[in-house]
Amino acid sequence: MVEVRGRKVALIESGQGEPLVYLHGFADVHGVAADFQPFHLRLGTAARVIAPAHPGCAQSDELAEGYGIEDVIFHYLEVFDALGLTSFDLVGHCVGGWIAAELAVRYPERVRRLCLIGACGLFVPGAPIGDIFLHSQPERGVQLTSLRKLLFYTENAPAGLRFYASARGDLEEEMRRYQMLRFGSFVGFKPPYFYNRVLRGRLYRATMPAAVIWGAADRMVPCAHGDAYVAGLPGAEDLTLIQGAGHAAPLERADATADALIEFLATTRDTGQRVSNG
Amino acid sequence: MTRPVQLYCWHFMSYPYLPADFDERYETGWVTVPNRLWDAERSRGLYQEYIDQLVYADEIGFDGMVLNEHHQNIYGLMPSPNLIAAALSQRTKRGKIVILGNLLPLHLNPLRMAEEYAMLDNMSDGRLIAGFAPGSGPETFNYDVPSAPSRGQFWEAVDLIHRAWTEDGPFAWEGRHYPLRYVNPWPRPTQQPHPPVWIPSSRSTETLVNIAKRGYCYFLSSRSHGSETAKSQAQFAKVLEEQGSRFDPFRMGILMSAHVGDTDAQAQDEAKEGVWYFLKNCLKGHLRREGRMLTAGPGIPYIPPSEFRNYLKFSDPNAPLLGDAEDWADLQRAQSIIVGGPDTVARRIIDIVEHAKCGHLLIQFHMGNMPDALVRKSMTLFAREVAPRLREHSARLFGRHFPEMERSAEMAQ
Repeated sequence: MVEVRGRKVALIESGQGEPLVYLHGFADVHGVAADFQPFHLRLGTAARVIAPAHPGCAQSDELAEGYGIEDVIFHYLEVFDALGLTSFDLVGHCVGGWIAAELAVRYPERVRRLCLIGACGLFVPGAPIGDIFLHSQPERGVQLTSLRKLLFYTENAPAGLRFYASARGDLEEEMRRYQMLRFGSFVGFKPPYFYNRVLRGRLYRATMPAAVIWGAADRMVPCAHGDAYVAGLPGAEDLTLIQGAGHAAPLERADATADALIEFLATTRDTGQRVSNG
Repeated sequence: MTRPVQLYCWHFMSYPYLPADFDERYETGWVTVPNRLWDAERSRGLYQEYIDQLVYADEIGFDGMVLNEHHQNIYGLMPSPNLIAAALSQRTKRGKIVILGNLLPLHLNPLRMAEEYAMLDNMSDGRLIAGFAPGSGPETFNYDVPSAPSRGQFWEAVDLIHRAWTEDGPFAWEGRHYPLRYVNPWPRPTQQPHPPVWIPSSRSTETLVNIAKRGYCYFLSSRSHGSETAKSQAQFAKVLEEQGSRFDPFRMGILMSAHVGDTDAQAQDEAKEGVWYFLKNCLKGHLRREGRMLTAGPGIPYIPPSEFRNYLKFSDPNAPLLGDAEDWADLQRAQSIIVGGPDTVARRIIDIVEHAKCGHLLIQFHMGNMPDALVRKSMTLFAREVAPRLREHSARLFGRHFPEMERSAEMAQ
């Protein structure tokens, strides 16, 4: 926990080495899980992973009433200053990926390397982002089948059944899910729905090495969004697809997702420039 | 004599021409219910039929007519209740016109609501009761209204409209959501200082405090009236007392549905089809577990986390809802849809009023696909046989429980 200008920010860390800031998504640490999952711990073998909870999520305070994505970007600027993080690797999943991309185009000098996993944030015509709010409304009082289908490879994915069971869950877990949806409602529902129409045209500014990793069966943020990030980010080479995973690739295919990221970090280690294999 | 309960006829204007197998074939009656089911030819004259029923309510002595706003569903065909209110203002002479209410966060500029309500108040010669609602359930989806900031938006809009009605313009409104440089609406309302304001709410203490401190009327937005209704009344009375004010029955209203027949058996026989059409089709997506409920829950995160924690602690997701009722006994337990002969209906409503102690009874007569003749027959029996008993009983009840109300009425005379 850190305090930033009078606001509490819940924050957990794992591993040692260069600082890597991890901005979470819905089906993720802080978004539903209380603690790091195998994906984050594996990432911790390659870096010092610092994972703050978004405003209003987990034990973090909400921002002032009626805040939006711009306020969250400034919030993170203040968090990084408070932590003394001047230059760091930045990884974001889902809505955390959107925030990471917004930070990278504004402050490219602070972001050494950027990694986006199933990130929303872009307007991609004909490939709308799935309605997580509607699908979070249970069917028959408790059924979350369609939410699991939206977030995971299949509706019966073990990680999905673990965190989104079709039953009233543990009170604190239900609260984390609610708080995450409330955060999502503030930042991603103005409308437009989870994107900033001008972000795509600004991606050219984020010249750092970038990895774009996507669950091959992502139904929440379609792979076309990954293609658009690859096309727009000068430091991205190609889209890395995680087979057998939906939107929640870090929960579903922890090793494959972490390994893709660790390999990217390894090949771009020395100069912050991508090391050519050829 | 103490003022008796005020009896209003509430019309939801549901869509009555769904296929017989609607419940089996379609997962919801809200937001995504395919609008190809709208039968334009059969629907000719539908609004006329519904408006005529409300005009009839005015003619036979109801104290008012109630309308509300819904979008993209079969439950209520009034995306703009103000249009129906405008028609009623020209065809009725006596009853209040209650709009419960305009969904403020759906509108770009709340001044439009201040203007339209002021027009309606003038057009009806001061008969408007102005309801405001935040509309935070299905509207999240059908109008893309963000849930989380909607409460803040709502109260700012309410205060802006109130000030626009009561303070001389032009003035500037330096709001968070609706900053406006020139607030100066023409016309101003007929009723001074402003039309009565009603706000629907469940039992959120925060909302009750907001209603109480502005002097508005609290409409309990629940369709069931067991012990929870009495609790809501007590909670509102406590909030009023904490503010140095006092509960009286006309600070609160409740909703129920009724069908009156000559006998209990005949009433059930008449109402059966309409009631179950309403329960199974119109409430699918709202107060039924079948399908996906869109009126409360985690996907509509408009309440602060502390309130949601209470909701989780005290709600049972497996408990049946009103629309899950399978028979008349289930409905009787819910104390919501009251069907019977005049004696039964009068007795059961008196029972509710004794517990709830509230003075505004908003009663739905048209349910689902109920034919016009049955609706009118039920309304006629209600006005002739039930209403006089409710008035007499409630006047005595309120006189006993709220003696100061009687004294202030005498002083005013």
